[in-house]
Amino acid sequence: MSYVFYPGCSLDSTGRGYRLSTEAVGRALGLNLPELPDWTCCGSTAAHQSNALLSLALPAKNLLAASGRTMAVCCAACYSRLKVANHEIANTAGTRGRVAGVLGVDYDGSTPVKHLLEIIRDDVGLSEVTKRVRAPLTGLRVACYYGCLLVRPPDVMRFDDPENPMVLDRLMQAAGAEPVDWPHKTECCGASCSITKVEIAERLSHDILAMARDSGADCVVTACPLCQLNLDLRQRDIEARFGDRLGLPVLYFTQLLGLALGLQPRALGIDSLTVNAAPMLARKGMAAASTRGQR
Amino acid sequence: MTTAVSRREGQALWLEAVEAAAGARLSLCFQCQKCSSGCPIAATADIKPHELVRLVQLGDPDAVLSSRMIWECTSCQTCVTRCPQAVDLPAVVDALRRLSRDEQKVTPETAVPVFNGLFLTAVRRLGRVYELGLMAAFKVRTRRLFQDAGKLPAMLRKGKLGLKPTFLRGHSERAQVFRRAEGFESEKR
Repeated sequence: MSYVFYPGCSLDSTGRGYRLSTEAVGRALGLNLPELPDWTCCGSTAAHQSNALLSLALPAKNLLAASGRTMAVCCAACYSRLKVANHEIANTAGTRGRVAGVLGVDYDGSTPVKHLLEIIRDDVGLSEVTKRVRAPLTGLRVACYYGCLLVRPPDVMRFDDPENPMVLDRLMQAAGAEPVDWPHKTECCGASCSITKVEIAERLSHDILAMARDSGADCVVTACPLCQLNLDLRQRDIEARFGDRLGLPVLYFTQLLGLALGLQPRALGIDSLTVNAAPMLARKGMAAASTRGQR
Repeated sequence: MTTAVSRREGQALWLEAVEAAAGARLSLCFQCQKCSSGCPIAATADIKPHELVRLVQLGDPDAVLSSRMIWECTSCQTCVTRCPQAVDLPAVVDALRRLSRDEQKVTPETAVPVFNGLFLTAVRRLGRVYELGLMAAFKVRTRRLFQDAGKLPAMLRKGKLGLKPTFLRGHSERAQVFRRAEGFESEKR
């Protein structure tokens, strides 16, 4: 399988740990993920709230540049915008022509788009992952948090069950961890309000974090840089607003998978998390020594 | 009598206009309220999702276009996923946001259009979003200088914010894409 990697804007800044750990895990699993040269922003929430045609043209420009290779994506928001653009261009009458009018080039909506979780599940295979695990995450109870955009709307995303997805749970099991059974896997964290109306983002994120804690999780694991940022960077403010002690590290799935594959925490960007994961990892006897330098 | 009839016609026209702008069939809604039951913001919103649908069906543009709800909706897609009639409510809300902005009905209680405008300007000029610059511009425009300011030092230390924007080639090509997309949207109106 030949991929081209579309990182998206978050992975160059707030989601730097996601990028580092994706690249490290990709290498460890033998995946070749060359970056799409000169990729541009997918337009994100701002585009679809402002201009319907622009919200399709911006992803289409990148999908066209992939020249038929499978686009590998790990940001759930980019993944959603790219798949929605493909879906609308291929299935809604007149859309393909209008997008061509905006871009000056015709695009038929056929570039395959895969999230890294799908690539690991379908192209690498969970049995292959199990074989490569060097340091199983034994005894680590994880709340697998999928958020909105990977699974909804299901007829466009075709990713997993929209109410009870399992792909991340099964991957964490393959890495030796113990996924907890909890009801907030696909609740919204409010990331789209995170800048413009913080109180909404903090209320929704508090519901998710408190449920993860009450379900017995040691940490939350995500596949979206916006969810991660919201649940991690805002956690202290959330604790203060609701007078509730949470203290839950929020890791990218690639960081936990990387640890299981025997990679070092620093190489996975675990030291750049806001809620320090080192004490939890030390408690579980995982990679304690090499996270000691964390600020 | 004539007034009542023309008012009813006006209401029907507005429903049709919103349906066309959103590409969604709001007239299929039978008010089961499943959307509002699963909506993450319904508890604090000024209009709940099923009420929004009803107001559009009844042709009440003002209540809808100047609501907080259309800007607080997180586009989480839970409503359309669970709707027994597959009414694409997130697409309707997107269409209402555009109408609200074009008709200058945006509630002063939201900063979303300002944020979106700055975000898209960054994409047009730079090709990618430069978060530090975007945040600074947003703070200045909305006078929220201190929101999240305490998080900055740690974010910079941990490399979570790039200090320099990336400049991509193809600025004039991007500007043309934006111009054509904007031109098409205004032609529709």
